[in-house]
Amino acid sequence: MKRTFLYVALGAILIVLRGAPSADPIDVKDVLKEIYAIPAATGNEEQLTAKIIALLPKGLAVEKDNLGSLFGRLGQGEAGLTVVAGLDEFGYAVSNVLVDGYLQLDRLGQPPLGIYDSFLIGHPVVVSTKAGLRNGIVVQPAMHVLTQELRDKLSRNLTLDLVYVDVGAHSEAEARAKGIEILDPVTLSQDMATLANGRLAGPAIGQKAACAALTALADSLFGSKVPQTVSVAWMAQSRMSARGARASLGAIRAKNRFNPKATVVLGAVSADRGEKSPVFGKGPVILQAKDSPSPLRDAIDAAAKEKNIALQYQSGIESPLLAPFLGEGADAVILALPVKFFGTPSEVVETKDIQSLVDIVSAVCSRRGK
Amino acid sequence: MSKNRAAIILFFSLTIGIPPSFSQTGSSDWDLLRKIVMIPGISSQEVKVMDWIAGNCPHGMNVQRDVKNDVWFTVGTGKPHILFVAHADELGMTVEKITAQGTAVLKGRGGFLAQACEARPFVIHTAQGTVDGIMLPRPDFDARQAQPYSLEPYELYLGANSEQEARALGVAEGNPVIFKKKIVDLSPDILATRAVDDRAGCAALLAAALEIDWTKIKGKTVTCAWSVEEEIGLYGAAAIAKVLKPDYVFAIDTFVATDSPLENKRFGYAQLGQGAVLRVFDSSNLTPKPEIRRAAALAEKRGIPVQVRNSRGGNDGSVFVAGGAVDIPLSWPGAHAHSFIEKIDRHDLEALTRLLKAIIEEWK
Repeated sequence: MKRTFLYVALGAILIVLRGAPSADPIDVKDVLKEIYAIPAATGNEEQLTAKIIALLPKGLAVEKDNLGSLFGRLGQGEAGLTVVAGLDEFGYAVSNVLVDGYLQLDRLGQPPLGIYDSFLIGHPVVVSTKAGLRNGIVVQPAMHVLTQELRDKLSRNLTLDLVYVDVGAHSEAEARAKGIEILDPVTLSQDMATLANGRLAGPAIGQKAACAALTALADSLFGSKVPQTVSVAWMAQSRMSARGARASLGAIRAKNRFNPKATVVLGAVSADRGEKSPVFGKGPVILQAKDSPSPLRDAIDAAAKEKNIALQYQSGIESPLLAPFLGEGADAVILALPVKFFGTPSEVVETKDIQSLVDIVSAVCSRRGK
Repeated sequence: MSKNRAAIILFFSLTIGIPPSFSQTGSSDWDLLRKIVMIPGISSQEVKVMDWIAGNCPHGMNVQRDVKNDVWFTVGTGKPHILFVAHADELGMTVEKITAQGTAVLKGRGGFLAQACEARPFVIHTAQGTVDGIMLPRPDFDARQAQPYSLEPYELYLGANSEQEARALGVAEGNPVIFKKKIVDLSPDILATRAVDDRAGCAALLAAALEIDWTKIKGKTVTCAWSVEEEIGLYGAAAIAKVLKPDYVFAIDTFVATDSPLENKRFGYAQLGQGAVLRVFDSSNLTPKPEIRRAAALAEKRGIPVQVRNSRGGNDGSVFVAGGAVDIPLSWPGAHAHSFIEKIDRHDLEALTRLLKAIIEEWK
């Protein structure tokens, strides 16, 4: 009797903590808005993971690995699908604090575009410090006194040698008093623009949208009866040759708990870039390493048809996100959002595509269970 | 102060029609700047910002407005006639045409560093409201060896799929286009955003006008003016100069400061945080040195920090010189002029406001 009462009480507490399971799933657009402005330069994903944990159902147990990746399990029964998404965006690190208070930068990994540094000039950035976020601006000379020589350098041959971040400090001591330290991450100010047809634009919005989709997916699966054990992982340092993915894989394998045979990587892909490129507005894209038979791809196809969602396909992809999940006998694909102006400060995504990722993978989880 | 005493003062203040003082309005120059800087007003389309200025002038003033939308009020009679002018227009573009694909091709380059516009959000101000758009990146933006960003095309992606969709959003030829502004607070006393040039000057003049006890201004004529179309040729000030012939004109505008690591300090080196600026000469004007000394002495007398410097760029006061005025430009050190991150220090703005007040009260 006592034990029954205890179970009932625990269940009630869980419902209170969680809210009504699946009755009121979190909207993926709301998740994106919640996480979008949180900087997550490669290797500095702590704030974002903390936010994701806060957004996930309270009853969902998640664990972090040594690099900061998040891992959780949903559903019941045999091990089934694994769904992962990267946490990190490209960013810089403070490499020097000058005597007059300006900061100089170095890159944290490879930028998404060769011209990426040129997007810095004359725009706000955010420095993530131990004391919180600090606003900065990247110095641009006044147009009235700009020499042709400097104009050419800025427009044609910009290097990080010409990039100085102004944090409103007049000296190194003032900058440090703001909590700024060497290696603090620096990212573009995450300002979102809302375009026609429910399209959203901003820096690294493709990556953040995939991350939001996985979060919303985990939320929706938690409240439903998924007839398989679905593993979900948010990868830290995914831009560093998927180090986060390997670490997740390695750590969990070591514990003999996580040996994915079927993995969907939620990601982003450049759209509208020529004949072979995915087309923006034509639905999510399945990216495969080889154009070979794939039960996972078939399952995704079937789920998309069931949901009346159009898909696009691309194969021959050598993605560092995919490679860690393509071991012997393993099946893995990337399910990607088509992104217009990929890698620029104004990546554009369709909100309906983000929801489509959630709907498709959610349906795959149910189908595979059947 | 007792409640009774406060009530008596309030009664007499209302009875004799004293304009609300600085403290009564509760708005500092800094607060005014933060408000006015967000109001759109590209050159020749300044109605909204001029409405705001006219609506915030001291109560009881006879606010004038000409056909170009210049706004001013004049207090007092007699000589000298001193006139202050700050321009309220900002850099921007207009929609030239809407393409079949639903993008908006822009007219004008805005006077910005082209590179800073690439793949950045702009706002079209339409009759139906605002519409966000993204400046198209260079065509080969993802190439390993991309070509330099050029001025062509200057075109906004709106998210629309067709001309019809774009027009349904309210976008039309002639709509003003400005950078999607946000205020970046670098500290409680330093901000950066678009259009600090010359909304800071507008705010300082408005704050001084709100603070002055105009009943005490005797034996001279004082005009406070806010002009349009400075950025495209000083046209607003030129229109005012046709009807007003001051003896002294104090143009209030950005001092193009070279206070950043990328700039030569040979000229334009006024440091942020070190006070207002007496702009002795620029590309449009050379102020007689005795007048600069007078202004500097007045500042010193009141303990107002000022810097005496030379720089580049023109100023509205220069168009009054032909009518007999001496042009004494007043400024604050403005870093990154004509960028999206024009930077200003609150202490400099406050010094400028105090200097304006001192000149209004004491200039002879």
